[in-house]
Amino acid sequence: MRKGKANSSRLLPEMTPRHREAFVGYLFILPTYVGFIIFILYPLIESMRISFLDFSILRGSTYIGLDNYMQMLQDPRLRIVYANTIVFTLFAVFFNAGIGLILAVMLNRRLPILMRNLYRSIFFFPVLIAHTYIAVIWEFLYAQDTGVINYYLSFLGIEPIPWLSNVHWAMAAIIILDVWKNTGFAMLVFLAGLQSIPNEYYEAAQLDGANERQLFFRITIPMLSPTIFFILVIFMIGALQVFDTIIVLTAGGPGDATRSVVLYIYEIAFRTFNMGYAAAVSMTLFAIILVLTACQFWISRRWVHYE
Amino acid sequence: MQRKRRKPIKFGDILSFGILTIAAILVMMPLLWMFSTSLRPTTESFQLPPQWLPTQFRIENYIAPFESSVPFVGLFINSLRITVAVTLGQLISCSLAGYAFARLRFPGRELLFLLLLASLMVPGQVTIIPIFLLMRDLGLIDNPLAIILPGLISAFGVFLMRQFFKQMPQELFDAARVDGAGHVRSFIQIALPLAGPAMATLAIITFNATWNSYFLPLIFLNSWHKMTLPQGIALLTGYMGAGNPSVVMAAVTMAIVPVLIVFIALQRWIIEALTRSGIKG
Repeated sequence: MRKGKANSSRLLPEMTPRHREAFVGYLFILPTYVGFIIFILYPLIESMRISFLDFSILRGSTYIGLDNYMQMLQDPRLRIVYANTIVFTLFAVFFNAGIGLILAVMLNRRLPILMRNLYRSIFFFPVLIAHTYIAVIWEFLYAQDTGVINYYLSFLGIEPIPWLSNVHWAMAAIIILDVWKNTGFAMLVFLAGLQSIPNEYYEAAQLDGANERQLFFRITIPMLSPTIFFILVIFMIGALQVFDTIIVLTAGGPGDATRSVVLYIYEIAFRTFNMGYAAAVSMTLFAIILVLTACQFWISRRWVHYE
Repeated sequence: MQRKRRKPIKFGDILSFGILTIAAILVMMPLLWMFSTSLRPTTESFQLPPQWLPTQFRIENYIAPFESSVPFVGLFINSLRITVAVTLGQLISCSLAGYAFARLRFPGRELLFLLLLASLMVPGQVTIIPIFLLMRDLGLIDNPLAIILPGLISAFGVFLMRQFFKQMPQELFDAARVDGAGHVRSFIQIALPLAGPAMATLAIITFNATWNSYFLPLIFLNSWHKMTLPQGIALLTGYMGAGNPSVVMAAVTMAIVPVLIVFIALQRWIIEALTRSGIKG
């Protein structure tokens, strides 16, 4: 490599090529790193610090050690919002991934290419629409007396369901909406995963006399396991942070029946301005997401099949 | 795609086609209802049985949001301004950093990259309180900059661009070096022109995420003339929801139609982009 005497070197101070390369490297990552430090690293550390404060904008904050964390142990609402969030996460992840996988497997069967593309687009389109708009539409669909959903259910002999005003149905309503919106993303990723499985595997197994069920469980599922694993992780992390749909559709109600952890954090921090406690709660969510990610990666080493 | 040889059509193929058709209809129904309701007179908004295809064409419903107390055009422009700024910012910052992490050698490179990547695990709700306090100190509450500034960088975007730049053949850059191009020139004249697909992927993902975001605007923007479209629609529903679903649905339709148009126009790109984002690593 010879020393560059190009125009661009005039922009930079005289340096050896290695130093120049490093200099340009640091220069290129500078914008990202400045942003990273100001908007991720610093807030993360600061959030930890705030979680040890009795925070007040007006009278100043004081250190109270672990008091915020102790308060969490005695906060019955925190237990409720965590239970809600876990219920939502389990159901939303299960149905999003399950239905997404079924749709993808069916789309990957013999189907005119035009139909496959059309259906894939239809299933996927809701992913692109804001949660806010979808919640606004479904709020009308879920209406007890005038809603379209109860109207059709009445043909099945089902009494009008109080979707948004009943403690149990409200959570079901949130989950159904979430699956309607997000399963298309799982479908898309699964379909791409399915299409990357070499056809020879199936042909070889069929020659050995394998039936469809065996093909699915012995080839499709193991070959798809990295994709399944990936979908489970990202859907779980996303579901733990559920916020937009709930604040528009039920605002956490009735009572606390659909209040999620993030909605709770938001309300403590920005409505009652008890930011110390809110920061402490957010740390628990952070810890859970960290542990979950670590666990999933650890488990994945044991059962996920990588090529 | 995979099957070239003709095989007999199985019962399962027909069954799954039937199920897919039903599922597709179910997925479309809420959007169809939205559209047909948006064209109906207010008095028939709640009509049951619902009419799925528009039978009437009340364009007034589409004018009403503009005449309501919600400044619809302004909300649209606010959303667009924030989204475009964030998308452009990420395209610049992520392509620069992605190129450096992929193709330039400097001390600490791997460590700095890993640290950045680890930040993907930090949920936005954890950092929002200090960011809010910072923006308040800077006097940026109720200012779109409070949303734009944190959005200008993306660890995911850097990762995406790095993967792409890594795949480029080294010979390209060697040749440029021989011709006397420096690192900056190599980046601008060789790497960037070839990075179209990765840039498009990043642009699509960022644009959609920012356009739809609700959490940050809700926290930072509180006056009518600063709000974004999702905030406006949510408030419009609160104002007129009980009385006039047709107008609300007209507003939501107008908010969704641009997404639909972009989706139809760029469908292949979008699906490829999101699939690519899905299958990382």
